[in-house]
Amino acid sequence: MAGEPDPNEKTRSDTSTSPDGRSLPPDVLEIDPAYEALGHPRRRYLCYTLLEDTEWSLTELATKIAAWENDIPEHEVSEREREAVSVSLYHAHVPKLVDEGVIAFDDAMETITPAEHTEQVLTALEGIGASVDANQEAHARSEMHDEGN
Amino acid sequence: MTKEISGGTMSDDDPPSEANTHWSQVAQRHYRPDGKRELTTVIVYAIAEAEDRSPGEIKSPPLYESVDVPAIEAAFFGPDVTENSRQGVGTVEFQYTGYLVKVRSDGWVQVYEPAEADLS
Repeated sequence: MAGEPDPNEKTRSDTSTSPDGRSLPPDVLEIDPAYEALGHPRRRYLCYTLLEDTEWSLTELATKIAAWENDIPEHEVSEREREAVSVSLYHAHVPKLVDEGVIAFDDAMETITPAEHTEQVLTALEGIGASVDANQEAHARSEMHDEGN
Repeated sequence: MTKEISGGTMSDDDPPSEANTHWSQVAQRHYRPDGKRELTTVIVYAIAEAEDRSPGEIKSPPLYESVDVPAIEAAFFGPDVTENSRQGVGTVEFQYTGYLVKVRSDGWVQVYEPAEADLS
């Protein structure tokens, strides 16, 4: 893959100043991982789940994404559909997001957790989410309000 | 503890197809660009069928480590510069855990396994 992460990246401590005077960590200004992460609808759904900043199992994620994509409650997701989404996450989208430093994946436990570039992707989602895909934004937001705890 | 998915773990034990390797087709699936199943999913399901296992059991390495599926998707099934479907005809081949996989521009995904050479 092009664009290997710069090994010195994490050791940099300088901050840049945005036009409105707020300081941003330099990672936030590196936009490639955000574009790569958000360049596929299924990966955008996956990134929305990271708004909750928690740990997900592959199965939980596949169920949630299948429910969102089909606009049905999670308990109505069929085993067949869950498996199809899970396979695509495992063989395509999860390793892609690991490469981009957007998530970390534990092979043995099959759990997904945030990584060093999660924050910038979520920042990008906050900015463009609603206009990129109103349905996705609505799904993700409504669910978070429902669960609101 | 988390760790990143390790790099390519393709076995070096079986060398890539030599000129005299015979392959026999053991599974095929059809990919529809306008369907819900992603090309990655269709390929993994075809491999699962070849191995007679459930798709969820096909694990390492992730297909992502072996072949750039989005590039195949874009080349064969993505819009061209005029936003029409591509009319090209072709096949991409790659090997995955000992199987030879062919993705054709008409959407057929075919899985082959090495066959005993016919020495008779």
